[in-house]
Amino acid sequence: MTDEGHKHPRITELLPWYLNGTIGELDRQRVDAHLQGCLACREELEIERRIHAAMSAESSVQYMPAASLKRLQAAIGELKSGNAREERPAELARRMPWKGLAAASIALLALGVAFSTADRWAAARKPPAYHTVTTTMQRPADEVIRAVFSPTITLGDLQAILDEAQLRIVSGPTEAGVFSLAATSHRPVSSSLALLRRHPSVRFAESTQLTVQADASRSSAPSPSGEPP
Amino acid sequence: MTLPAKHSPTESDSELLAAIGGGDRRALEQLYLSYHRRLARFLSRFTPRYENVEEIINDTFMVVWQSAKDFRRASLVSTWIFGIAYRTALKSLRRQKNHNAAHRLDDVPEQIVDPATETEVQDWLVRGLARLPLEQRLTLELAYQMGHSLEEIAAITDAPLGTVKARMFHAREKLRTFLPSLGGTVVGNEN
Repeated sequence: MTDEGHKHPRITELLPWYLNGTIGELDRQRVDAHLQGCLACREELEIERRIHAAMSAESSVQYMPAASLKRLQAAIGELKSGNAREERPAELARRMPWKGLAAASIALLALGVAFSTADRWAAARKPPAYHTVTTTMQRPADEVIRAVFSPTITLGDLQAILDEAQLRIVSGPTEAGVFSLAATSHRPVSSSLALLRRHPSVRFAESTQLTVQADASRSSAPSPSGEPP
Repeated sequence: MTLPAKHSPTESDSELLAAIGGGDRRALEQLYLSYHRRLARFLSRFTPRYENVEEIINDTFMVVWQSAKDFRRASLVSTWIFGIAYRTALKSLRRQKNHNAAHRLDDVPEQIVDPATETEVQDWLVRGLARLPLEQRLTLELAYQMGHSLEEIAAITDAPLGTVKARMFHAREKLRTFLPSLGGTVVGNEN
């Protein structure tokens, strides 16, 4: 602040809220009246205005909330089913106390059977230790590239890579971290793809156009045996 | 200064929160989508990592889901949600290995700030913000970008009004040394 500005701290400290429009009516009137007669505080206001304008600039980073929302909903689902699992035995006991002994006998019998199948059940339930980047979900119509970025990539780096490759995010990330990217210019997809692949923060990048073309040519070409492919 | 913030809640936020308290997942989805962009912008000042921002937003809304029924309207819904996000982000930051040495929040070392708009015009802002202590930077963000009132910021950050004013004062003092002159050159330097 200028020296003059420091002379009126009770006014200058209100300027951020004067500018963002949340200042109370009485304070606003006080600041208005003061500014009319104080050049130093008007200069302060101008500086504040520039900081405010810079801070208010819209971010160019695009967030895709749909995938995150899906993860939140899944977490809430797990929370609910976890609660339900915990509550069920107690609730059962409250409703059928007289059946406790019978239930215990049946449970002992069932236990032997359960142990024999537990390993197979557990194996079937165990989540795979890998992620696939393919999905059965419908792809965005304008998707040209699918890519996975390093988990430690910063927002700024991500946006810089996309800007350089003239791409934008149209969906993602999926649970496997896959982004669907669309072109922002007429730059050849192969050129954008090459640029992505050169970048150390890009773990995976593939053109979906080439995949679609290959799929189309495979499906249109007659198979040697005459059978459908 | 009691007027609501520029993004502040409407009656529908309160209605959505009441519905969420009753277990309405559709209401949660609506509230999530309406706050996601604002929270993402705010949280990117805490951490530049995309996945961290998303994780903090989801942790915040998990708290919203579990605590909505306890909301007593002592504050605006947006103040309540931003307060949860603020505390969740601080916890997340403290967990990060490279911040273990910071004993006080204002001792947190310089951060690499998300250069939200990496244009030449914004360079001075990015450089200036990177040199502010975390809580000063967030106070600026809450006031200028989010449009919160002084009282709301005090409630969000759980700090006295005087502390919020002091943080704002020191943040502006520091930031203005990076402010380009009207001719386009930087007024101050980084030292």
